[in-house]
Amino acid sequence: MNAAVLPDPPAFRFGPITRQDLVRYAGAAGDFNPLHYDDAFARSAGLPGVMAHGMFSAGLLGSFLVAWVEDRRVRRFRLRFKSPVWPGDMLQATGSVVRSYQVDGGRVAELVLKLGRQDGSEVVTAMAEVECA
Amino acid sequence: MSDDGDVVLADWTHPVEWGKVREFARAVHDPRLGREPPVPPLTFPVVLSAEFIERFVSELLPLDRRRTVHGEQDYEYLKPLQVGQVIRCRAKILRDEVKQGQRGGRMRLVTVEVKLTDASSGETVGFERMTAIEQEALTS
Repeated sequence: MNAAVLPDPPAFRFGPITRQDLVRYAGAAGDFNPLHYDDAFARSAGLPGVMAHGMFSAGLLGSFLVAWVEDRRVRRFRLRFKSPVWPGDMLQATGSVVRSYQVDGGRVAELVLKLGRQDGSEVVTAMAEVECA
Repeated sequence: MSDDGDVVLADWTHPVEWGKVREFARAVHDPRLGREPPVPPLTFPVVLSAEFIERFVSELLPLDRRRTVHGEQDYEYLKPLQVGQVIRCRAKILRDEVKQGQRGGRMRLVTVEVKLTDASSGETVGFERMTAIEQEALTS
């Protein structure tokens, strides 16, 4: 039944993450937390160096979601941040349909999504609700 | 005060700009990049609230960024954002509490909600909720 509401998600791989990705995101989002561009500041926080914005990873997972559901309307997108992304990381996204249910005027699919590294460790997990005709 | 009687922490407007949407779509590799007009990515509302969040985290609360992580982000979409809209944003705190962490030590959890409405029609277009977690400072 679930296979009928949405096609299988596309393959989504991204990386290796570069400092340019981080700087481009900082400028685009207006988020200039020094943890994301200042190695000395990051080390003072006990980190090995700069890390990606959580919302950069969230944005990548959102792009995977859009590539999957195309122009269907997304009603909800809820993300949990599991671990930081570092320059050099290779990321991949996966997703599946958990269930679908009828609402007024159509059907809604509930999805689970994950952005992870190649070793399988989780970066961001998410759920989404998408309207399916 | 907001419509529902809660205390509003901040109230501001922000335009959904053509260039900003395109720049953000490029930064997050949105597959719709190149459409005309540009389509705001799912996480684009962070752009509308960036200045507020900066002030919220570093001045209003404040939280120590060296000990703070982003825990969750939650979007509810009622109407699609469109280039050319001006969005009125109203922020309130949903939660500000101290809990015992799983690995020992206490942590402060703060969730802020930004309600997004079309500034001209007054129609609610969505909600953005962010949860930050500040770990207790080590005292050794």
